[in-house]
Amino acid sequence: MKSLAIRNLSKTYFDAYAAAHVTAVRDVSLEVKEGEFVAIVGPSGCGKTTILNMIAGFIPPSAGEILVDGRAVKGPGPDRGVVFQSHALFPWKTVLENVAFGPKMRGLPRPEREAIAREYIALAGLSHAADRYPNELSGGMQQRVGVARALANHPDVLLMDEPFASVDAQTRMTLQEELTRIWQERRPTILFITHDVGEAVFLADRVVVLSKGRVLKEIDIDLPRPRRWDALIEDDRFKTLSGQVLQLVRSA
Amino acid sequence: MREAADIASPPAASAASPLLAAWSWYVRLTARWPAVRSLVPFVPVVALWWIVAEAGVFPRAFFPSPPDVSRTFVSLIEKGILPEYLEDSVVRLLVGTAAGMAIGIPLGLLVGLSSRAYKALWPIVLFFQAIGDIAWLPILLIWFGFGLTTMTFVIVYTVMFPVIFNTVLGVRSVPTDLRRAALSLGAGRFALLTEVMLPGALPNIMTGLRNGLGYGWRALIAAEMIVGTSGIGFLMFDARRAGSVVEIVLGMIVLGILWYIVDSWILAPIERATGQRWGLTTR
Amino acid sequence: MRALSLIFGAASFAAPLLGLLVLWVVVVHAFDVNPRVFPGPGAVGHAALESLRDGTLAAHVGASLARVALGTALAVLVAVPLGVAMGVSQAVSDFLTPLFRFFSVLAGIAWIPIATLWFGYGFGAIVFVIFNAVFFIVAYNTLLGVSTIPKSLRHAAASLGAGRWATLTEVLLPGALPNIVTGIRTGLGFAWRGLIAAEMIATNVGLGYMLFVARDFYRTEVIVFGMIVIGLLWLLIDRLFLAPLERATIERWGLVRAA
Ligand SMILES: Nc1ncnc2c1ncn2[C@@H]1O[C@H](COP(=O)(O)OP(=O)(O)OP(=O)(O)O)[C@@H](O)[C@H]1O
Ligand SMILES: [Mg+2]
Repeated sequence: MKSLAIRNLSKTYFDAYAAAHVTAVRDVSLEVKEGEFVAIVGPSGCGKTTILNMIAGFIPPSAGEILVDGRAVKGPGPDRGVVFQSHALFPWKTVLENVAFGPKMRGLPRPEREAIAREYIALAGLSHAADRYPNELSGGMQQRVGVARALANHPDVLLMDEPFASVDAQTRMTLQEELTRIWQERRPTILFITHDVGEAVFLADRVVVLSKGRVLKEIDIDLPRPRRWDALIEDDRFKTLSGQVLQLVRSA
Repeated sequence: MREAADIASPPAASAASPLLAAWSWYVRLTARWPAVRSLVPFVPVVALWWIVAEAGVFPRAFFPSPPDVSRTFVSLIEKGILPEYLEDSVVRLLVGTAAGMAIGIPLGLLVGLSSRAYKALWPIVLFFQAIGDIAWLPILLIWFGFGLTTMTFVIVYTVMFPVIFNTVLGVRSVPTDLRRAALSLGAGRFALLTEVMLPGALPNIMTGLRNGLGYGWRALIAAEMIVGTSGIGFLMFDARRAGSVVEIVLGMIVLGILWYIVDSWILAPIERATGQRWGLTTR
Repeated sequence: MRALSLIFGAASFAAPLLGLLVLWVVVVHAFDVNPRVFPGPGAVGHAALESLRDGTLAAHVGASLARVALGTALAVLVAVPLGVAMGVSQAVSDFLTPLFRFFSVLAGIAWIPIATLWFGYGFGAIVFVIFNAVFFIVAYNTLLGVSTIPKSLRHAAASLGAGRWATLTEVLLPGALPNIVTGIRTGLGFAWRGLIAAEMIATNVGLGYMLFVARDFYRTEVIVFGMIVIGLLWLLIDRLFLAPLERATIERWGLVRAA
């Protein structure tokens, strides 16, 4: 796992209907250190997905640079794992085949890649469902597979775009706790995007508040780990930090 | 399957009336053997046909009865004509379909994936699709004469276009996120094609095949009638020349059954095995 | 702005076809192709002008279109009400579905021999073939459409006070409309092919006949011209009739994605 650095990143779209340029991201600089968990929060339309898509290499930046482990990003690649909001699992592959996809692309022979896949499926707590198709899983299980698939490829950084936004509240809490557990076990470098203030504060070491395409403020989250919802929900420090972030987001 | 248990619950039904009891028996039967459900509806149709034929509403030569047709069926099988013609038709259809897919799928992938290929080829594809297979027959007859080449050409031509159209549609309907996921997991161009685009387009390709076969075998019948030297279409048209309605009706029944078998024993199961399990198609 | 992009679109659509035309000219000249095998564009243009001048083209096109229009209209008018009526009851539609599938499989060309026996060569037989091609497929699709309308929609309508008639016009018919349109589209595709085939066999006027007679005299320029006319007519039917129909129903309601 390696670090991620963004310098003076900007993105301007051309809106063909309005015949106008729209600046979605303006001069954003950000650093995620090796093994760090950073969350970006901001209101809808503030440019979160745009930033993540540029880091992932899905869209080119208009200006600025993106460095992963010191190397400039050119297009998508296995050094940056992505977990999608829409889970984006291959519907024609079983859970095992989905998680083994990255290792397969690296050219590993079948027994080896299946061993890796089984390890990460177990980490996500889904060993019993390894041979099912994504269609046959619940929303929460699908997201877990998405996380396992990205991690099984040993990326330098893990990019997550509102991965838990479309699961129910109970499942979301479980998934968040599991993600912090996995993060503590494996220590991947994570950039996590969300519009949910509680989620950002619960998960991250540092929360970046984004507003209209700019970084408004960065706040360090000094809550102890492991974090659990039943403890934190009453925790004063958690409440203060959440309140602080919420203020910023609402003022944005 | 639907509510079979409720309706079939014995005391209420059998007590009510013999009609209900019969219905309940039928529902239980079809629940156990679903094939029965698609056969039984033909019983009243055949019965009605029989009655009308026996009643002599129409001249017998114009409107044969079921026994006439089954007698002809037996005699044509004994003479070996029907099996031979059937084989000819099926082989032509299979060869034509295979070739049509072999051309249509790669072409569809190319047009669906490359915008340059799309710009250059799409109008031409649309134009040739519009001309339609059967309109080619006269010039094909001049080029290749009355024979296998002409018929094969027509079937390949017919099968090809629905396959192209649906492959393009399939490639286009693969969600962007799936492509991105594959790329960020390290897939190259070729892996993207084989692991994502092709399986993603598969349900549509199957639909294309199904449509293509539907058009293709009609084209085959037409070609056999017009070009024909053998085959079911030829059998029917030859009978038309001889004024033998029995053989025409027999030919129609054979065609119907043949397609039924292909559609429900081959195409539908493939569709179920892919699209439905993956949750890509509903129903 | 709008008009400009429209013109540009048309031009970029026509460019590959123009390329094809150029290729045609070049190949015919370079290889000195025998006109009995394949005509040059000049000969085809000449055939076009001639058939326009002596009125044969108008006669053939008129006959073909009249047959298709009559057969299709009759079939849709009968098939849709019948399909809706049959689809209202689950038991009835379960029972009839295999029958209609069977007959829609036979639709079109397979009826040519018996139709020509029953009605003799000519108008009646061809309209019958077209009617058959459209009728069973539209009826089957309507049946399918009505019987796959979610129960909850019917219940919702009933609990909002819809009676039998209102349920029919407000729920069943619009709910089945996408299927009906699909049925018309498929049926018309089969009918158009059936028409050409039937005209080759069973008449003395119409586009199919025009092509088939030209074959007897090795008039390839007439054949190629006829093929182009058939292609253009189908494109017109597709663009001016089928596509708008589909846009107005299926795509608008988001039931399928646009091609
Ligand atoms: N392809 C595009 N073309 C034009 N404008 C775009 C495009 N994609 C995004 N935008 C605009 O850029 C801005 C930022 O969009 P983005 O999707 O990054 O927001 P977001 O923060 O992810 O919002 P959400 O929380 O709703 O997902 C928005 O104003 C959006 O309208
Ligand atoms: Mg977003």
